[in-house]
Amino acid sequence: MDSISPEIICAVATPEGTSALSVIRVSGKGSFQLIEKIMSLKKNRLRGMRRKVGRIFEGGRTVDEVVAVSWPEGKSFTAEEMVEIICHGIPGSVRAIIEILIKEGARRAEPGEFARRAFGNGRLSAVQIIALAALWDTEKDRSVFTGETEKNCRKLMREIEKAREMIEGNIEFGETHLNEEDESIQNVFTELMTSAKDFREEAASIEKSSRVMIMGPINSGKSTLFNVLTGKSGALVSDEPGTTRDGSSCFLEVRGRRIQLCDTAGNDGIGLDRTASEAVINGLHGTDRIIWMSEGGRTAPTEKIREKAGEIIEIAAKSDLKNKPETEQILNVSSVSGEGIEELREIISRVPGSMSLSCAAKRIEESVKESYNFISLKEYDLAAELLSEAEIEARRIIGRGENIQLSVERALAGMCVGK
Amino acid sequence: MKEEWDVIVIGGGHAGIEAALAARRTGCSVVLISANTRRIGEMSCNPAIGGIAKGTIVREIDALDGSMARSADATRLHFRMLNRRKGPAVWGPRVQSDAAEYARAQQLCIGNNRIEILEDEVTALEGSTAKVAGVRCRKNGSIKGKTVVIAAGTFLKGRLFRGDEHWKGGRIGDISADSLEKDLVKRMFHVERFKTGTPSRIVRNTVKIEELEVQESEKTNFTFSYGKSPIPENEEVCYVTYTNRRTMDIAKENLHRSPLLAGRIEGTGPRYCPSFEDKVVKFPERLSHKIYVEPMGYRSRHFYLNGLSSSLPREAQEKMARSLPGFERAEISDYGYAVEYSYLHFAEMDATLRLRRTDNVFAAGQICGTSGYEEAAGLGLIAGANAGRFAKNLEPLRLSRMDAYIGVMIDDIVSKGADEPYRMFSSRAENRLHLRQDNADRRLYRTGNRFGILSEVKKKLLAGNIEEADTIRKILETETVNGIQMSKWCRRPGISIGSVIKEANSLVDKDEGVLTSVLLDEKYSGYIERNLRRSESKKNLEKISLRDIPSYMKIDEICWEAREVLERERPETLARAEKIPGIRPTDLQGLLIYLGRKRSTWNNSSGGEAQ
Repeated sequence: MDSISPEIICAVATPEGTSALSVIRVSGKGSFQLIEKIMSLKKNRLRGMRRKVGRIFEGGRTVDEVVAVSWPEGKSFTAEEMVEIICHGIPGSVRAIIEILIKEGARRAEPGEFARRAFGNGRLSAVQIIALAALWDTEKDRSVFTGETEKNCRKLMREIEKAREMIEGNIEFGETHLNEEDESIQNVFTELMTSAKDFREEAASIEKSSRVMIMGPINSGKSTLFNVLTGKSGALVSDEPGTTRDGSSCFLEVRGRRIQLCDTAGNDGIGLDRTASEAVINGLHGTDRIIWMSEGGRTAPTEKIREKAGEIIEIAAKSDLKNKPETEQILNVSSVSGEGIEELREIISRVPGSMSLSCAAKRIEESVKESYNFISLKEYDLAAELLSEAEIEARRIIGRGENIQLSVERALAGMCVGK
Repeated sequence: MKEEWDVIVIGGGHAGIEAALAARRTGCSVVLISANTRRIGEMSCNPAIGGIAKGTIVREIDALDGSMARSADATRLHFRMLNRRKGPAVWGPRVQSDAAEYARAQQLCIGNNRIEILEDEVTALEGSTAKVAGVRCRKNGSIKGKTVVIAAGTFLKGRLFRGDEHWKGGRIGDISADSLEKDLVKRMFHVERFKTGTPSRIVRNTVKIEELEVQESEKTNFTFSYGKSPIPENEEVCYVTYTNRRTMDIAKENLHRSPLLAGRIEGTGPRYCPSFEDKVVKFPERLSHKIYVEPMGYRSRHFYLNGLSSSLPREAQEKMARSLPGFERAEISDYGYAVEYSYLHFAEMDATLRLRRTDNVFAAGQICGTSGYEEAAGLGLIAGANAGRFAKNLEPLRLSRMDAYIGVMIDDIVSKGADEPYRMFSSRAENRLHLRQDNADRRLYRTGNRFGILSEVKKKLLAGNIEEADTIRKILETETVNGIQMSKWCRRPGISIGSVIKEANSLVDKDEGVLTSVLLDEKYSGYIERNLRRSESKKNLEKISLRDIPSYMKIDEICWEAREVLERERPETLARAEKIPGIRPTDLQGLLIYLGRKRSTWNNSSGGEAQ
């Protein structure tokens, strides 16, 4: 263990969502070895600047066929040993590859960490850094999560901290000054494991459905808006009520984010469209984002939709024709004059979705489970280690850095011990 | 007396002793000045060495050839391996020693190593603060030295308190180093006040021990010191009793007479070692606290009441003691008291324990803001070694957080300080699975050897252990158990080290201590490696200096809260900035962008080279 080099980091370098190809970047000394381990390479090994075709395996099953491009130390973007995996842009397989990488010892890169390493290693010039600055908008970075997700992550983190405080307290003082514990540790863990599972599910569902649906009563201008946003006339547009029968969808890039925008049939819960609209409503997942539009914002989404959908963006359509709505929460949009379109794009670009989030959440859940396992084996030292792994991961998600020593201080603060 | 000493050590406590010995091992001439040489090496509080994390420090001291481990082994009466059922990385060996014998053993060690002992009070440093010429003593006048180690413990402007009584002193029966404190303050060193305390001692034959719970010593051949040291035959048992409602009520009734609560003591006390009256105030819902009754020595006349530290008036202490079951007729031989003392603000010291504003003065022990014998001794060893190396013009010794608890401790106290006396905990070490009590020899051998603080005997012993470990590791790599490579076998959850040893025939002749330790290395290797990698990647951030930033308030790339925090904290490097609570990764990137932009303007204006 004499010459340990920095951690290997990995991240998806291309936008989320389905695409022909995606690129996963891996950097850090030992990256070649790591890739060789998970890949069956046709002909020899990664070495120098090469491209290799091969399959990534997990447990004997092919995950994807990929191209690995290798850069030796000193020649890459980060100046570290680096590999770029070009794989198929299917969210499921990209996620699976990231998970394999993490399992084999890499960790999720923090936002901008590749560039940071490049800068730290003297690879990135000042001009390049300034060019990258545009990508690192201080305000936008955290908006990849909804307030709700972040809140849940914070809650989970507090629970991890609490469990860790308890274990640390038990390690430091259990023997000499306290006589309780084992049972309360059990209770804390039962709760923690549920939260970790919930959070993992939440994270996964966010990623599955970074899908935005346009809904609203018949003839409120959904298809027109869809066309304005997608910039083409793919959906059938007409002034006659009820002309959009099938949902139409399109992938588009909104401010650097990849969003699946869906147009739906008009929905007022009555008449001919009833069957079609019920199908749409039943297909909603809790986290789908809905743009609910109605003329002048006068029709509210039905209870059923509110129940099934997550957050709803309400807009008042055809603002060029009708009276303005009174409430300020409803955005005025006119597909004709362009009023409100930019604001709407902004809102859409903030709809949650991050490939790496569900990996992180899964990892937290696994660490917590493993930790509990060590508690039952009476190996408190390892239980604490795994909890601190989980805590670091949670802190990364909410952007708090890795200063985890604080929870130790807290653990000790509440203890009654001493001379 | 010499014309000029290489190293002058002020103080003969746990820090001073290790400092003097370590300096001596670097080949320096050393004088140890103590106001009361008969009390050198005294255990001023409890008669015990070790514990969780603390026990590991003692083993680290031994790996660096200090004397604490040997003296503790030689005088032990009672042994327990704490946390034995909680995972080997958090085992904490703890002995109770014969307090008087322990001090004698330490004094012998000083004498055997040809360290001059001088009984006097140091009243001031001599010469300029930037380069000190020696010390001034009350009786012997000026003494010249190339370096000075201050290990004055609780003696800097020490004040003792018990109820309404208060008097000067660093410990009961001793003087207070008021003049030296005054000199340090005059030299503009930033000092602050801490407090600590000690419980009363009870006359043994006034306690009905048959009514107390007995805690036997573990039968073991464990020793703090690596290698085979003889284990003394004398043994003692400890006892356990509990406080009750009455103890609590007595403390409450007398709270107004507590010097701390009455505001006579201003220093902050140790949260983890509170006085009983503190516990009553802070944990009113707890009706009973565990009290350990520990003999001060073999067949000693005195018991130490671990858990009942107090600075209440004598009659209250007596009532409290007598409220314990079995103590109804107990007589107190020495009453507990509190001591308030000055210590150096953390910003005064660097990672080699040198005072930043001087070239050649080092500090160790409680004046660095720590508490505990083991912490003091660990600091003493490093300060002494560095004083010696400075006198010889050699590069200083630094221990990393990743390698030793002593490294964690020094990094903590010199980089963030503490708002209470600093006690070592295993949870303070991010690489805890590696910093175990079983492998301190192998962790620190190379450092000890490279910095020349190991005796020939020690060197040979530790090198032998390393060689043995290498052999064992090779066997683990090449041999299999039930078809599984042995090193992999060790890493399985729930596999006990004992069971691996049983299965492996080729390991039977190996040294048991080293074998267990290597197997544990294997068991934890995945986690340890991850921790090391994590710490390594932080080093990149350490390379990026923030020193030249004139003001954070105008850096648009970072958010407002971060600007304020950074302006206040003024971190030296990006790594330090990352540690500050409230600084988010995006702020770090913002700083990078700012630095990049600045660099490019420098380049344009000066035509200089980008780094």
